[in-house]
Amino acid sequence: MAQQPPSMLNVHVRLLGFSLRSITPSPGCSSVFKLNGKPISRVEVLGVVTSRDCKPNKFLRFTLDDATETITCILWLNHLSSHFFFDRQPGTLRVIADLAKRFADDLQIGEVARVRGNVGSYRGDLQVTVSDVVIESDPNAETLHWLDCISLARLCYFA
Amino acid sequence: MAAIKSGALVTLPELQPSSDFFKEGASLRVIGKLQEYSVETAIAVIADQGATLKIDTQHLREIGFRIGSIFQFIGELHIQPNNEAVLQARTGRNIDGIDLDLYYQSLQQLRRFQAEHMKSAAT
Repeated sequence: MAQQPPSMLNVHVRLLGFSLRSITPSPGCSSVFKLNGKPISRVEVLGVVTSRDCKPNKFLRFTLDDATETITCILWLNHLSSHFFFDRQPGTLRVIADLAKRFADDLQIGEVARVRGNVGSYRGDLQVTVSDVVIESDPNAETLHWLDCISLARLCYFA
Repeated sequence: MAAIKSGALVTLPELQPSSDFFKEGASLRVIGKLQEYSVETAIAVIADQGATLKIDTQHLREIGFRIGSIFQFIGELHIQPNNEAVLQARTGRNIDGIDLDLYYQSLQQLRRFQAEHMKSAAT
């Protein structure tokens, strides 16, 4: 019996912006998208921060430019006020809120950021809801990200 | 996706008047070694493989413009009446330590990969 390829649904799929643009919504499930027919929900992207719109204690919406496309990302900053998080432990919420605040402070225009998060749709446009941010200081980080994405696409995502 | 445009990857030798990149308002991403910088005008000149480009850095903050360092800029190209191009930078950063050979080879790989996908998407 042929071995099934591993599911990509719960892994962070490393994508270039133009590949991210090619994903399509999965019928009946707003949090799942199809990449070349394979279901995905989480992505890892990397690029230069080229815009930021911060509403304190609400959200930071920013764009990453990875040289192939711009990627819209949203980082929620409302963990301590939103009803959405009321079932979480207060201590846990405080840690998450502090981390999100630190990410927002780090995400300045011109920085290169590696972002992980859930892909979603807002007003018809794709956006990444941020769960993790790393500011890259290695000047080769973008180059290596391009090569990783190309290699993964050829060997796995589009194989 | 966002309305703000992505800066197309281009090397300075490719940025000739006959090139598709050489257009008023084109969003570009360039790298080069800083040759000159004027505090009065905020104009920088970067060089790469014998070609140079003027960069208008007036919108950039907190960047130390050290002559001889390698910088990356993203911005829009403006063609002057004398056909000289100036990049109005939106972002800039020092990338000293970058492996330039790997960068140029990866740039070609990335273009090939994008072209393959555009072609397969069109068929």
